[in-house]
Amino acid sequence: MNDRLIYLDNAATTFPKPPGVLDRMVETYGRLGASPGRGGYDLAMEAEELVAQTRMKLARFFGATDPERVVFASNATDALNLAIQGIVGPGDHVVSTRLEHNSVLRPLYHLKERGWIDYDLVPFDGQGFIDPDDVVRAFRPNTRLAVVSHASNVLGTVQPVPEIARLCAERNVPLVIDVAQSAGHVTIDMAAWRVSAVAFTGHKGLMGPTGIGGLVCSPELNVSSTRFGGTGVESRSPIHTQTFPHRLEAGTLNLLGIIGLSAGIDYLQIEGVDRLHQREMTLFRRLREGLASLPRIVVYGSTPGDSHVPLLVCNVEGFNPSDVGAILDGDYQILVRTGLHCAPLVHADLGTDPRGAIRFSLASFNTDEDIERTLEAMADLSGKG
Amino acid sequence: MTEPAETAGPSGDPDRQHWLIGGRRVYFDIDRFLWDSQDWSEELAEIMAREGGLGQLSETHWKVLRFIREFYLSNGRAPRNRPLKESTGLSMREIEELFPEGIKLGARRIAGLPASIKRICD
Repeated sequence: MNDRLIYLDNAATTFPKPPGVLDRMVETYGRLGASPGRGGYDLAMEAEELVAQTRMKLARFFGATDPERVVFASNATDALNLAIQGIVGPGDHVVSTRLEHNSVLRPLYHLKERGWIDYDLVPFDGQGFIDPDDVVRAFRPNTRLAVVSHASNVLGTVQPVPEIARLCAERNVPLVIDVAQSAGHVTIDMAAWRVSAVAFTGHKGLMGPTGIGGLVCSPELNVSSTRFGGTGVESRSPIHTQTFPHRLEAGTLNLLGIIGLSAGIDYLQIEGVDRLHQREMTLFRRLREGLASLPRIVVYGSTPGDSHVPLLVCNVEGFNPSDVGAILDGDYQILVRTGLHCAPLVHADLGTDPRGAIRFSLASFNTDEDIERTLEAMADLSGKG
Repeated sequence: MTEPAETAGPSGDPDRQHWLIGGRRVYFDIDRFLWDSQDWSEELAEIMAREGGLGQLSETHWKVLRFIREFYLSNGRAPRNRPLKESTGLSMREIEELFPEGIKLGARRIAGLPASIKRICD
């Protein structure tokens, strides 16, 4: 990456990737790039073993009990579609939250528009947190699913998932969590929390490439197939394979992405998720405090405590947020995401709709200098510099 | 710019309205971006600028507007930040300050970029 660039859009995708991830992708794919699970020759079987090892690695990483229930998908949106459309049926009710990304809002809206389901969205409080009791209060007799974003991609707040999961489990309502913004930043323990499924993407906190993600399911969760095709097994049957993970996978897997995801997980385990998170949160607190101290800058959401990932949104009075993004990019080489962040209801509730806000999102590769240069730029913009 | 004749155009799209300019209907979206970029003219740009809170457009304004316009006609999209800066010799902050509505909702609008361009990247 250009040394002068300051990349603060890690909630969109982490960049750069850790040393070794791209190297391992090129080296391993160059050596083992056969079709996994589709042939009897050694190379294809080695590729399949690599996929199986990655399923095991992910199961351990998310605290899941059965690696066969690690299903690969393209990204978290794809995985959430697999979960939502595979769990609910006509007449069902779903509970979710106003913190959600369009990856949840749009599938739910689509199903509601078709007349199949109804849903309720639980509000968040002034600090950006969901009250677990609100989730279960929204339940109806026909509630079949709860979907909750683990960490907001706008406010950065980490939701009390263990408590929400406990309440859902007591009522036999499956809970699917979207960990797109939390995985790789905070430890996730599906089994201990009694979460039914985790939808993840590989290219954010997990430090892999784009195009790979997945759904990790608990053994008790029943998810129907919503895509059909080749699985490499039971080829004579016209019925899509019903055993996991094939039940939810169709077509040749993204082996290159799986190799990169595996390397990203290895990096996190060597470095330690908690240690990396502490480092990025130290930088994040400095950024937040600095921004909040500047005139004409409004920072939204809570002061980061323990339940936070390193991202925030703010606005500069008198500026369109998209222009702030253009100025930061063009004049300061600072890269941020502006707008609604695919989470329109959060911005509606913050009062930042329709223009949205400026999002700064950090990763462990950011430096003290990145933060100081960003604060200097924002001080210039706010009129103080 | 003259007064809006109605809130919805022939398509019934609530985001579309037309204005009577020189006896001709010109369609805009809710943020007053041209619906059809072909309707743009330098005369219309002057009208849009006045309506957007700018007085007479200066040579500096025109340097920015012409670059954005020509880039759009050649490439079908708005220019990126660095080419805009390098071609005009202005900083992004200076360009932002030239237009009361900023770069993306001001300069691009007056340069006649269409509503379809504005919707990208929100």
